[in-house]
Amino acid sequence: MASIQALQRICTRRSVTLALSRASARPYTRHFSQTFKRFSESGQGNNPPKSSPTLANLGIAVAGGVVGVIAYSSFDRLEELKTLFLHPKPKSKYGSPEDFAKAIEDLRQLLPSEDVSTNPDDLLVHGFSPNDHHPACSPSVVVYPRSTKDVVKIVKIASKYRMPVIPYSGATSLEGQFRGHETGGICVDMNHMDSILEIHEADSDIVCQPATRWMDINETLKEKGIPLFWPIDPAPGATIGGMLSTGCSGTNAVRYGTAKGEWFLNATVVLPSGEVIKTRRRSRKSSAGFDVTKLFIGAEGTLGIVTEVTIRLAPVLPTTVAVAQFPDVRSATSAVTEVLNSGVGIQCVELVDDVFMKATNKYGMSKRKWAEKDSLFFKFQGPSQGSLKETAEVVKRIVRKHGATGFELARTKEEADELWSDRKNAHYSGLALIPGAKGWPTDVCVPVSKLPELVAETKKDLEEIGLLSTIVGHVGDGNFHALILFENDEEFERAQGAVHRMVRRAIALDGTCTGEHGVGIGKRKYLVEELGAGTVQLMKTIKKAVDPLDLFNPGKLYPDDEELPGTKGDPSSKS
Amino acid sequence: MHRSALLLRRHLVLNPSSRTLAYTVRSRSYSSTPPKPSLLLQYCPWSSAFRGSLGARAFLQAIAYSLIIVGGLQYANIERSVSPNLETTQYGSVEDVKKAIEELRVAFNDPQAVATDPESLKIYGSSEHSYHPISPHAVIVRPKSTDDVVKVVNIARRYRVPIVPYSGATSLEGHFSGHPTGSICLDMSKMDEILKINVDDSDLTCQSGARWEDINQTLKNRGIPLFFPLDPGPGATIGGMIGTGCSGTNAVRYGTARSEWFLNLTVVLPDGSVVKTRRRARKSAAGFDTTKLFIGAEGTLGIVTEVTLRLTPVLPTKVAMAQFPNVQNAVSAVQEILNSTQGPHIQCIELLDDHMMGAINDAGFVDNPYPVKDTLFFKIQGDSKSIKETSKVVNEVIKRHSGSNFKFASTDAEADEMWLNRKYCLMSSIAANPGHRCWTTDVCVPVSRLPQLVQETKEDLASHNLRSTIVGHVGDGNFHALILFKNEEELKHVEEAVHRLVHRALALDGTCTGEHGVGLGKKQYLTEELGEETVELMRKIKRTVDPFNILNPGKLYPNKRDS
Repeated sequence: MASIQALQRICTRRSVTLALSRASARPYTRHFSQTFKRFSESGQGNNPPKSSPTLANLGIAVAGGVVGVIAYSSFDRLEELKTLFLHPKPKSKYGSPEDFAKAIEDLRQLLPSEDVSTNPDDLLVHGFSPNDHHPACSPSVVVYPRSTKDVVKIVKIASKYRMPVIPYSGATSLEGQFRGHETGGICVDMNHMDSILEIHEADSDIVCQPATRWMDINETLKEKGIPLFWPIDPAPGATIGGMLSTGCSGTNAVRYGTAKGEWFLNATVVLPSGEVIKTRRRSRKSSAGFDVTKLFIGAEGTLGIVTEVTIRLAPVLPTTVAVAQFPDVRSATSAVTEVLNSGVGIQCVELVDDVFMKATNKYGMSKRKWAEKDSLFFKFQGPSQGSLKETAEVVKRIVRKHGATGFELARTKEEADELWSDRKNAHYSGLALIPGAKGWPTDVCVPVSKLPELVAETKKDLEEIGLLSTIVGHVGDGNFHALILFENDEEFERAQGAVHRMVRRAIALDGTCTGEHGVGIGKRKYLVEELGAGTVQLMKTIKKAVDPLDLFNPGKLYPDDEELPGTKGDPSSKS
Repeated sequence: MHRSALLLRRHLVLNPSSRTLAYTVRSRSYSSTPPKPSLLLQYCPWSSAFRGSLGARAFLQAIAYSLIIVGGLQYANIERSVSPNLETTQYGSVEDVKKAIEELRVAFNDPQAVATDPESLKIYGSSEHSYHPISPHAVIVRPKSTDDVVKVVNIARRYRVPIVPYSGATSLEGHFSGHPTGSICLDMSKMDEILKINVDDSDLTCQSGARWEDINQTLKNRGIPLFFPLDPGPGATIGGMIGTGCSGTNAVRYGTARSEWFLNLTVVLPDGSVVKTRRRARKSAAGFDTTKLFIGAEGTLGIVTEVTLRLTPVLPTKVAMAQFPNVQNAVSAVQEILNSTQGPHIQCIELLDDHMMGAINDAGFVDNPYPVKDTLFFKIQGDSKSIKETSKVVNEVIKRHSGSNFKFASTDAEADEMWLNRKYCLMSSIAANPGHRCWTTDVCVPVSRLPQLVQETKEDLASHNLRSTIVGHVGDGNFHALILFKNEEELKHVEEAVHRLVHRALALDGTCTGEHGVGLGKKQYLTEELGEETVELMRKIKRTVDPFNILNPGKLYPNKRDS
């Protein structure tokens, strides 16, 4: 009732306004009726309206307005339309070859000449890795900064000339993380920044530069008689900066966790804007907001270049090594679960399969002839020899219960080192299986209980396609690597298919496409399936906010927009 | 808006002469009639050469004008609310808040789920343990599912009403206080279920309102020999622990919430979308971990609704204590113990100063009074043999640092009582000082700087006649001075003392908050601690994720003008 009255009121008011506007709109009305007459004479207006044309038009106009409003509100994809019409095909967001030439000139002016290299050999080395199978792509120039200030200079030049920046240090990564960009770019080789700056024994932390190698840190601590060590142990040769950016781990992850834990207390980072930030101070804990340090861990150099790091250390404990053989992977895995839940001191527990043991025998570096069976390598840790012995007892009892057929405990430190080196030589002994073959190191991770299923299916798959592979796994974390061997392009293709199926299988088991090697180029395509479009969009939103020009390691980590189904651009565009 | 838009539109339809374009076109058509007007003019509804009926002309013009008007208003609206500064965001008016509440009532259709009684609004917006300016909420909503939270977020965004997430209400820095323009308090306490326990993977999925103590109790009741090791204040919930980036006494052995205990989170983002940050594998190198973005974000980036957390085996523990002549000796003993090979067997190591020990005695919670001296509480873990071995080493170290009376609790009951006394230090301090209230402080420095910090703080408090007790997670360099006060005048002195304490910690390369978070109370120190650039990066991320600044505004991020 009330609404009808309101409508009537509006209508009355409308006619008043109409009358007023008519008076002032005379020339226009005349013009309109003339046009109208012309149309009707030419036979286009078949039904001349009987009432005043203006009134009829008013109704039509209101209808038009309503259509307009509806049209607007359905413009959900306004942003996309805008980019489509206003910038149909944006030119490359990066600079031209001339720009890059100018950038290199600028770099030469700002940095000592020996720190800027365009030597073709240098470029080749920095855009290629023998450890992965992505096509080589060289940068336009390699620079060797010596300080945070140098990095700032480089970043400023890069953003001036819109030139991609690719950080580089240990070059041990396996997913093409340091590959050059197709348009060219600056490879920032951090290797001149490899000093340990401060050691705080009482706080168990050290401050170092990003190209410091983790093995060098541990060696230095040992030489200085400091009973502390850095427990994250990826491939030999890996640097702290690369480890941070990959979000790596290693065999010690069972006991000490990964790079995503609390081992990095703070990082000094050069942002794409050229600003330098220090993410946190040196205290062991802080609740001062979300931890910005964590933003750069696993970001693969896409959000900033790390130039200084404070890392936490742990006390060195006596360790020893034992090896046990199992009838199959399932019984080995269930033994591991029980061992870990018993709470005894386990620093590492590594699964290797029968093929691996065969390879180790064949490789010939080992002093032993191993039983060619699925096996577990344990590294025990404890404060004293007594406690190590006790741990060994407990583990022996548990593995027996799960059907272990052998249990060999190292009697001396030398023996322990020997046993462990058999595990550490995995990559080379695996390759020795077929002389001249190349290996594809894979890396998936699932909840521990799903590991037997994953390993069994993967082995079956590889067998079916006739490819040989050795398997080593950080079984305590549910992470494993199958080193798939191939000799020619046809086999390489088959291997590719197998890796693809393996990743899909891991994701289906609530796992991840990469346990510790990172995304780089190789795993980008799996990210949406694993994390969901929303999470990937969130990551991209952050990337866009921090690096709006997309200069830092472009083409890595983030899937392309086309691969994101069901999300409508930037969340900020919605309201 | 509608009426003025209509009027404007009609005016333009009837008066194209006010449009320059139409005017020029018309005058040309009068002076000489061109043989054939260009195609563009034939389809332009403002042109006299328009090839359509008058109705079509009016229709097309109206569409064009309405697009311009609605688009313009919408654009202005976005411009108004997305401001470059977080502190100048425009929020909905009182009317808007009312409409939002109405819509919430409709959406939930359950009187229990949407509450507006003034008493609750006030209680939910304040804490008796913090002394920051408070304002009541406008409404309390109790969602039961992630979908419910999405509904609330969407309504809040539409009316530009801030959302303040709320669960255990144990936080101490004003994290859940209301927003002055009227806020929706999102009470997660109805979402407190444990959804799935995966014993073989040692993980568990639960809703964010679940309490850590309930989780551990449930595991115990079901005979599962695992537990969740983060132990902040009693009553804290998983969601709150994530929001604060908390820790507790177990941090020495197990680290904090910022470590790898949270495997994944399901989060409702400010745009109403739901993301799950990761899957359930224990490790993943799939890019930077967005889980970590929400840990310590204090509900400013998203609302956590579901969590998978990692568990760890329950180990036998024993509790012991030892007395020291002063705090310095105690702290240096701790460092030596933790860096020794026995370090990993220490689950907790807590410092209680002489005042605190006195307070526990006075509060009357113990049968046999403790010696009133600076004391270390230890929780040692491992089987009986390794506990014995560890205690031998600990005892030696203690003696070397002039400590004495290293003694184990003789029974489990005594051990529990001892530990309970440590956990209820806040209550004891208040109970022992009737009529007093208590300000809990929370700074953290590199461990080696702790003795200096404690020493200077004690001297400072004494020189200002402030009574305080001290408890510290000394293994992490974190300590809490609980400063007592009776009236407003003393409160002012306390505030100043806290200010000095924080500055002292920052000067020692420490942090303004070890585990309580920033909230309202520590905002002012963030820029000094982290640097303007780091804080700006945090703000940038906040603005990108929450452009309308709907989620818990006013907390965590310092205002630009302060710095």
